Amino acid sequence: MKLLKYTFALLLSVTLASCSTDNDDDNGSEDLSGQTGELILKFDNGVGDQDFIFGTSYSKSNNESFKLETLKYIVSNVRFTDSEGNVFTYPTEENVFIVNELDGNTAGEIYVTLNDVDAADYVSVTFGVGIDQDRFLLGAEGQGAFLDEASEEGMLWSWATGYRFIRLDGTYSSDTVTDAPVNIHMGSVGTSLDNYREVTLSFPNTVLVRETTSPQVHIKADIAKVFDGTTSVNFADGYDQVHTDNVETPIIADNVNGMFSVHHVHND
Amino acid sequence: MMNVFQNIKTRIVLLVIVLLQTSLIHANNIEKPCNNHEPFKVLCDLCGCSTSSGSFGFGTLSNANFVGVRYIYQNFESRNGIFENSPTSKEHFNTYQLWAQIPITNSFYVSANLPYQDLTRDFNKVKENINGLGDASVIGWYKLPFYKKKDANKVDFNTEREASGHSLQFGLGIKLPTGKFEESLADNINPGFQVGTGSVDGIFSLGYNYGGDKYGVNTLFSYYLKGENKNDYQFGNQFSYATNLYRSFATEKMNIMPFVGVSGDVYETITQYGETIADTDGNIFNASVGSELAIEKFIFGASYTLPISQSLFGDNVESKQRVSVYVNFAL
Repeated sequence: MKLLKYTFALLLSVTLASCSTDNDDDNGSEDLSGQTGELILKFDNGVGDQDFIFGTSYSKSNNESFKLETLKYIVSNVRFTDSEGNVFTYPTEENVFIVNELDGNTAGEIYVTLNDVDAADYVSVTFGVGIDQDRFLLGAEGQGAFLDEASEEGMLWSWATGYRFIRLDGTYSSDTVTDAPVNIHMGSVGTSLDNYREVTLSFPNTVLVRETTSPQVHIKADIAKVFDGTTSVNFADGYDQVHTDNVETPIIADNVNGMFSVHHVHND
Repeated sequence: MMNVFQNIKTRIVLLVIVLLQTSLIHANNIEKPCNNHEPFKVLCDLCGCSTSSGSFGFGTLSNANFVGVRYIYQNFESRNGIFENSPTSKEHFNTYQLWAQIPITNSFYVSANLPYQDLTRDFNKVKENINGLGDASVIGWYKLPFYKKKDANKVDFNTEREASGHSLQFGLGIKLPTGKFEESLADNINPGFQVGTGSVDGIFSLGYNYGGDKYGVNTLFSYYLKGENKNDYQFGNQFSYATNLYRSFATEKMNIMPFVGVSGDVYETITQYGETIADTDGNIFNASVGSELAIEKFIFGASYTLPISQSLFGDNVESKQRVSVYVNFAL
C-alpha cells in the first residue's frame, strides 16, 4: 500500500511541477547589438473582406463597379520603430519596391524581403507610397537600378514627370455605361505636385527580428479605399481617368495612404 | 493479502514501463530545423494534439478497467488567408491510440493514452503528410463511490455496504511532449496540424458516473493547464466536457450499450513570446451517438460525433466530423 501512495504522490508532484514551468524572461537581458535578421513584408490586396482577383467585378459607391487587369504600387522608405523608440531605416538605395499583384503567390501575397534588419523588438512600420521629392531630386542617375525596373513595370511617365505611384487599369460599369476604361495613374508631377504620402502601422504583436528568425508582417491593402477612402469619388465624375490632375491626384493619394493595415504578424 | 499486494506491484511495474517508454521515445526525438515557411497563420491545438483530451473520453462507458486500442478519424477545413474568399485546405487526421485504465486499488486507478498521429493536409492539390508519435498522457484517479443508505430498522449482518451506482472520480494528470512540435508548421492556419504541442500540460479532471441496471451516465470535466514549449509558444488553456447517456441491453452472452452524448471544448488564446495572439481562442459543441458491445472480456465501441456549433480561431477553422472505434480488453 505504501508503494501505491508513493506512486500517487510522485504523479502529483510531477504534475504540479509541470504546471509551474516558468520561462526565464530572457528578452530583457538579450544582447542584440551587431545582430541582424530578415524581415518579410507580405502585401495582400483585397477589396473589403474579399481577396482581390483580376477580372472580378467589385462594386463601389454610386452604383458603380470596377474590374482590374493591372494592380501595382510603389512602396519606399520602409522603416521600423522598436519598443524603445529607436528607428531602423532600411538602406536608402534599396529602400524602394514595386508591389505587383501579378507577383503574388497562390494566396495572392506579394513578398517584400528585407535583409540585414537590425535585431530589435519592433512595434510599428512606416513606409511611403510612391517616391519622395528627395529621391526624385537625386536625378535619373541617382535612381540606380530602380529606374529601369519602374520603366519596365510601366510605373514611369517620363523622367521630367516622374513615377506613377499606383497603377490600376481596367474597366468600370454603372447605370449608364458598361465596361468603360479605368486608368488610375497617380503620382507626383515633377517637383510641382507632391503626392508622396507616408503611413505608420502599429503591429498587433511585437515583431522580434533576430539572426535566426524571419518574422513576417502581413499587410492588408484594401483596394476599395482607393475609391471609397477618406473621400469617395465617382468614375462618372472624372475619376475613371486619373493622371496628373492637381485636384484628383492628391485625393487619390490620400485614399491610397489609408488603404493599408497590418492584419497580423508571425514571429517564427 | 500477499496475493493482492503482488497484484498491485505488477500493475505498478506495468505503469512504470509505460511511462519509461514514453520518456525514452521522447528522448529519441531529433530536432529538425524548420526551413519550410508556409505563408499561413498561427492558431490552436484543437486537432491532432488534443485527441487525448477529455471531450474524446478517457475510457469506456461503464468506467471499467481495460487495455485497448482506439482509432479516431477527424476532418477539418481551414481557411488559408485573411479574406472571406481565401482558399481553404482540407485536413484529415488519423489517430491510433494505445489506451488503458489500470486499477491500482479499489479506489485508485490510472488511465494512460499513447497516440500515433497520421495527419494529411490537402491544399491547392498538394498533399502534405506528417505522422509520428503523439503526446502521451497519464492521469491518476481517485474514485469516490456512493453507497445506499442502510435501513436502520433491519439488523444487517453484511459488513459490505451496497453500492448505489453513483460515483465521483477525481483525476490529476500530465500530458507529455512525446510528439514533435515543429515551429514552421505553426504557421499553418490550423495549428492543430502538429503531432504534438511540445509542452508539458497539467490535467485536472472531475468525473461523475452512474451505472444502473439499464441506464447509465458518464460525465467528465477536464481542465488543461498548458505549458510553454521550447519555441516560446504556449497553447491556450483548455476546458473539455463530455457526457454520455447509455442504455444497457444485456443477454447471457453479450451486453449492448447504445449511447448518446454531448461534448465540447473551450480554448483560451495562444501566447507566444509572452504576448497573446488574436483569433486563437475558440469553442466547439458536439453531439455524439454510438454503441458499445461487450462480449466476455472484450468491449467493442464505435461513435460518430458531429459539431452542433463552433467558433474556432476567428472562424478560420471548421471541424467537420469525428469517428471513433475501439477495442478494449477488460481487466
